[in-house]
Amino acid sequence: MNFSSSFFAGILWTALLAPAVVGFPQEQNSQAALAKQSSIVFSGTVSQLGAVSFAGVPQSTQTIVVRVDSVLKKPPAVSLKKGDNVTVELKDPSAFQQGTQATFYTEGWIFGSGVAVKELGHDFNPGGASAPGAGRGETAPGYTQEQISDQELRDRLNSADFVVIGRVTDVHRWTVPKSATPHRVSEHDPDWHEAVVQVQSVLKGAQVKGNKVVVRFPGRNDVAWVHSPKFEKNQQGIFCLNRDQTSGVPTEKVGGRQVSVYTCLGHGDSLPLSDAPRVRSLLKK
Amino acid sequence: MKALAAFWMRLLAFTLLALIAATVLFEKQSPPKTSIGGDGLPSAGTLGPVYASPTQVKLVDLIPASLSGEANQDSEPFLAIQTANPQVMVASAFTPNPVSSTGNAPVYVSQDGGSSWVLNAITPVPRMTCDITHAMPTGENHPRGDLHAGTLACAASITLDESESNDVSSSAVMNVQSTRSNVDQPFVRALGISNADHIYVGVNDFNQPNGRTATVDVSVDGGATYKSFSIEARNNAGQDGPSVRPAVAADNTVYAAFFGWRKFNGKTATSDVVVVRDDAGGTGPNPFQALRDPSDKLPGRLVVKRVSIPWSNAPTLGQERIGSTLSIAVDPNNSSTVYVGWADRGRKGDIYTLHVRRSTDRGLTWSKADLPHTTISNATNIALAVANNGVVGFLYQQLSGGRWVTHIVQSHDGFATVQDVILANVPANTPVQQFLPYLGDYDYLLSVGNEFRGVFCANNSPDLADFPQGVTYQRAADFNTKTLTDGSGNPVPVSIDPFYFSVPVIP
Repeated sequence: MNFSSSFFAGILWTALLAPAVVGFPQEQNSQAALAKQSSIVFSGTVSQLGAVSFAGVPQSTQTIVVRVDSVLKKPPAVSLKKGDNVTVELKDPSAFQQGTQATFYTEGWIFGSGVAVKELGHDFNPGGASAPGAGRGETAPGYTQEQISDQELRDRLNSADFVVIGRVTDVHRWTVPKSATPHRVSEHDPDWHEAVVQVQSVLKGAQVKGNKVVVRFPGRNDVAWVHSPKFEKNQQGIFCLNRDQTSGVPTEKVGGRQVSVYTCLGHGDSLPLSDAPRVRSLLKK
Repeated sequence: MKALAAFWMRLLAFTLLALIAATVLFEKQSPPKTSIGGDGLPSAGTLGPVYASPTQVKLVDLIPASLSGEANQDSEPFLAIQTANPQVMVASAFTPNPVSSTGNAPVYVSQDGGSSWVLNAITPVPRMTCDITHAMPTGENHPRGDLHAGTLACAASITLDESESNDVSSSAVMNVQSTRSNVDQPFVRALGISNADHIYVGVNDFNQPNGRTATVDVSVDGGATYKSFSIEARNNAGQDGPSVRPAVAADNTVYAAFFGWRKFNGKTATSDVVVVRDDAGGTGPNPFQALRDPSDKLPGRLVVKRVSIPWSNAPTLGQERIGSTLSIAVDPNNSSTVYVGWADRGRKGDIYTLHVRRSTDRGLTWSKADLPHTTISNATNIALAVANNGVVGFLYQQLSGGRWVTHIVQSHDGFATVQDVILANVPANTPVQQFLPYLGDYDYLLSVGNEFRGVFCANNSPDLADFPQGVTYQRAADFNTKTLTDGSGNPVPVSIDPFYFSVPVIP
């Protein structure tokens, strides 16, 4: 996750000026973890208890309305700025009253004429001070939906059979043999292609014989495969691979021997080389 | 001389008054920068040859204000209207979860009859569905339920979930009641039955033996259990076409239409258009066999035989793919009357041509030729519905002059006379497609009370000239500069958005 400098400044500010809350390194770490886990982070002032800020959000004793003082993190698609009223569903509403100022770590919930979020955590902002960035009315992008979060990437790395750094040496169309499962015509037909990847380094999994793997990927630009990586010759990157359980033909003869074939299908399964330190770090945890 | 001067003065005053009145009227009918109020409906600007009275059309871009920064291709829309309270509706499209690549795919929810919509991430599919349809009968009596959905999740494999929500405004993820893989294009219809909604899901089920893939999943217990019935009785090309469309009447008559593929060469399907019927809500041991074709005595009436349907999983009709558009609608109060519509390679030179036929004897016999005004060149996304008064609605999208033109046509006499209203007329070459389908493999039309309500997708450029009946945008848009913004003044590129509409049923 690429956080904006203002977001890190926010974390730093909170750590320095709110020692009662986050005065210890351990707590700072959990704060950072919370921030990474959150899709929307903002500072604001509670204006109503047991209320909601727009129609379509279920009102309960756990919902409050918070006026935004500054936005610290949000996806670019989300419209949220200083002065907006946000509905927050709290974990424990007893800790809040009108006028309470806090930084809210949240995940998106309902999007309508306003934004409703669910609280993952919060920091109180003592003395009525607001977090850095307040007053600028800014949005703090630092996040795009195409970027994969640490949590999502960690999950993906855990589920991968292999994680390799490599270079694509060949790409060609692959036709399902007639002996395999009957071919079905569907608008979601993947139009399978194969990429031969020269493995330069194995980050997860056993060493690969011959240092080459065959990776199947959908060539079709159908909605079913729109987030699947599309390989190109000479492409270099980090690839999260799983044994092929999708095409119906999990092995292939390469150089006279039968080898397993892999797939690379999901969002975040193909990462740029610049992500290597991040991937190595997540694999260690 | 004095009299002449007085005449000119009076004429001048009258002209000024008329100008002021016209200006006021014009301003009332033109949306301001971002939207007009939900009830401030503009008058129809395009009327067919029969009905000259103004038509009150409601047209709303579904993207909420708080997602003004999005530029996704939100294609392939669908709509469910709660039968007990039509103010409650659910719509869907290929809209991703706006904040997470692993969060649940969302649906749009309206509780005010379509004037405003919120996005709520409650489907059981991660991030974005790759097919979703739904229905909202209220046999189980939940005020903001019961939504029954068929969704495809497309990750490592394609998986169908048949699921239910008792409250579409809650954050509870829909409860998956049935799941299986190796199926395509679920299409949900339902009938509210007290305490046990009847649900019908048309699917192209590749698990069926002998390639007879056209299937209807039937639940008569609110989705708790489903039974799958192949409705293809004939030999085929190893499978049927993707579209399998049920239609349900209040008297428990259930029809289903499908493409019986007899030959397929990779580019063209030689197909029958087949209609089956069941008279007991699909509850018997061998349902959907009430109609037999006189030619071979097998279940399923062949409405047309061996038409050529082009199959192209690439941009072919503008930026849209083609291959399987099909719709069936039954008169809710007279289940003997049923309409079916499809597209094939029609006249020479046409890429894809729509046709509509009708039966007035429960599917036994069908009109020999297309109904008048229903052979439409270079068009797709046909959706039919029949209103309580027997008026049939016909929604389609036509590529014409480099633009996608969305029509809603109504007729009370089998299309002998029609009212044709253009809902949108937008550029077809922008935005560039992000994936296929560009607009959707379907759109949708329903009738409720004295309205036809439906959804379609279109280029979302805020240009009043593109929407002859007027339009309401929830998202930030400036109709003067014809630009979308992210809510903070930053420009947002044009993309494909889902639009909801309501038009009054003609008398």
